[in-house]
Amino acid sequence: MRRNPETPLHQGVPVGVLPQGAAPAPVRDFCAMSVTTPSHAEVGVPHRPLRRGADNALVGGVCGGLAIRLGVSERSVRVVTCVVALLWGVGLLAYFALWLTVPRAGEDRSIAGRLLGGRNRLARVAVAVAVGALVLLVLHPFSQALLGPLSWAFLLAVLGLIVVWRGATTEERQRLEELGRNTPFLRTRAEWTRTSAFVRILVGLVLVLLGVRLVALVSRPIDGGAPAAIFGAAFVVAGAVVLLAPWWLSLVHDLSDERRSRVRVEERAKLAAHLHDSVLQTLTLIERSADDPGQVTRLARTQERELRQWLFGPATTNQEATLAGALDALVGEIEGDYGVRVELVVVGEATLTESLADLVAAGREAAINAARWSGAERVSLYAEVEPEKASLFVRDRGRGFDPSAVPADRHGLAVSIRERLAARGGTATVRSTPGQGTEVALEVALA
Amino acid sequence: MRPRVFLVDDHGLILAGLRAELADHVEIVGAADEVVAAVEMILERRPDVVLLDVHMPGGGGEAVLREVTHAAPEVRFLALSVSDAAEDVIAVVRAGARGYVTKSISAPELLEAIFRVADGDAVFSPRLAGFVLDAFASEDRLGEAEVDPELNQLTPRERQVLRLIARGYAYRDVAAELAISVKTVESHVSSVLRKLQLSSRYELSHWAVERRLT
Repeated sequence: MRRNPETPLHQGVPVGVLPQGAAPAPVRDFCAMSVTTPSHAEVGVPHRPLRRGADNALVGGVCGGLAIRLGVSERSVRVVTCVVALLWGVGLLAYFALWLTVPRAGEDRSIAGRLLGGRNRLARVAVAVAVGALVLLVLHPFSQALLGPLSWAFLLAVLGLIVVWRGATTEERQRLEELGRNTPFLRTRAEWTRTSAFVRILVGLVLVLLGVRLVALVSRPIDGGAPAAIFGAAFVVAGAVVLLAPWWLSLVHDLSDERRSRVRVEERAKLAAHLHDSVLQTLTLIERSADDPGQVTRLARTQERELRQWLFGPATTNQEATLAGALDALVGEIEGDYGVRVELVVVGEATLTESLADLVAAGREAAINAARWSGAERVSLYAEVEPEKASLFVRDRGRGFDPSAVPADRHGLAVSIRERLAARGGTATVRSTPGQGTEVALEVALA
Repeated sequence: MRPRVFLVDDHGLILAGLRAELADHVEIVGAADEVVAAVEMILERRPDVVLLDVHMPGGGGEAVLREVTHAAPEVRFLALSVSDAAEDVIAVVRAGARGYVTKSISAPELLEAIFRVADGDAVFSPRLAGFVLDAFASEDRLGEAEVDPELNQLTPRERQVLRLIARGYAYRDVAAELAISVKTVESHVSSVLRKLQLSSRYELSHWAVERRLT
């Protein structure tokens, strides 16, 4: 917590060093007695000094302390205070006066006493009062429009609260901070207690009533005029927000919770369905064909490819319509049918025109050839789309052949590929060296 | 001399498999299956090459890379992953890996890659070469803010080398094809790696991500 530099250090220490909740034992007894057996208070009380309550405090503990001192119930003191507060703010001022001047239970100095304890106290008081008065004078006309006759009392109370904050001990500050955090405005309905609901409704109603009153004042321009109307409307809105926020908040929470859980369930179902259709099926197949290594390899590869596509692949559904999509499908087909691994690299991208479809078809012939005859375990496919042409290379590092001594069947294949591509303004070149592998280079022009 | 190799992978089976495949040819100085232990042991044992899994809990291979290269820049990394996703590949290489190969690589090729990285060269799989070509694709995509053409463009020769690698050529095949020495191929590839790591090209950071969305 931030330590107020103007508060002399040693004054905060006696209480501050105690762990929270470890208030000195006598205090606890004192308060416990007052809460559980109010009748005893009457006997012992007159000799007890007035102390603000520490354990039975709602805000500053003034009412609690008064109740103990006077031997009446806390509730009646609080009701009286609230009523008196409405009479030109007298109750409010009295409350803050007591808050500042009465020591907290278990402490021996009041907040005012602590603040005035240092040197130069007269000068400091004078400066503080001057600044305070100036602030009040400036703010008074505005607050007059809002609060009417309660204006001065309200402003003084705010100043009082500031002074209290500056002079409070660490422990009391922590309590006030907690109080601020627990103000029920921003809680959802699920976190409601009866008290917080009551406070919320009360605050909301007060704001709405104030707003209505201010708007009504507009008919008497002397009291406020335009500012009053604006503030009035703002107050009505604020009141409505305070009143309705919990329902709204919990509605939003519920909706987003529900949406999130629905999405999660759907995702899970989708995942489960996918895994069941693909991975589990394949695993079963692999188990069954455990004595056929070729089959196992093929199954595993096909599955791996599919899963990889599903996990890392592009999200579009319409993949077949692009060159990369068509080549992907081709890779799947060849890996599945021939049990070789096909490594595909695509640079650039294009939608699948007729020319490109022919390129892929030619590539398919070449790749099947490689898979079937080369004896290599892997075939490399490389496609590149450039502005004016697209090329596809099919390479294996298998046994290769001597192009000048080509068997008739393979020669025919090369010719058919070549003719098909020539019609698209393309070329097909086969390079092969025995023992070094084969590469088929295919190319089509792009319009 | 056998390079000293350290393995990082969170899958026990993969670790065991790698050990079995590599043990006869390199000196395996240790293995780790999570980021913190990996960083600690690598810094302690200073291997020549770290075989690094890209996907791991706790920040993945990238976290290991960043922590180690900071403290021990002489340790070289070869990323090894099942993922072919462009953003993973680019991310580890940008973080400092000297190369990237997929787990489907054959044992002899993996060994070759390890020796190459141990010698300080870069290892480009066909796929990585394709990614780089794609990312550095055209000059007209170069933004105006790109003031350093040295770093942000590939030379025609580098492009040629990368194309051949993407077509499935081994370094020595590339050398034979272009009538240059293997050393020259290696220096071209290392230069591309440097560009890949240092380039400020807009494409590099955004392309990999966009690639998944289109």
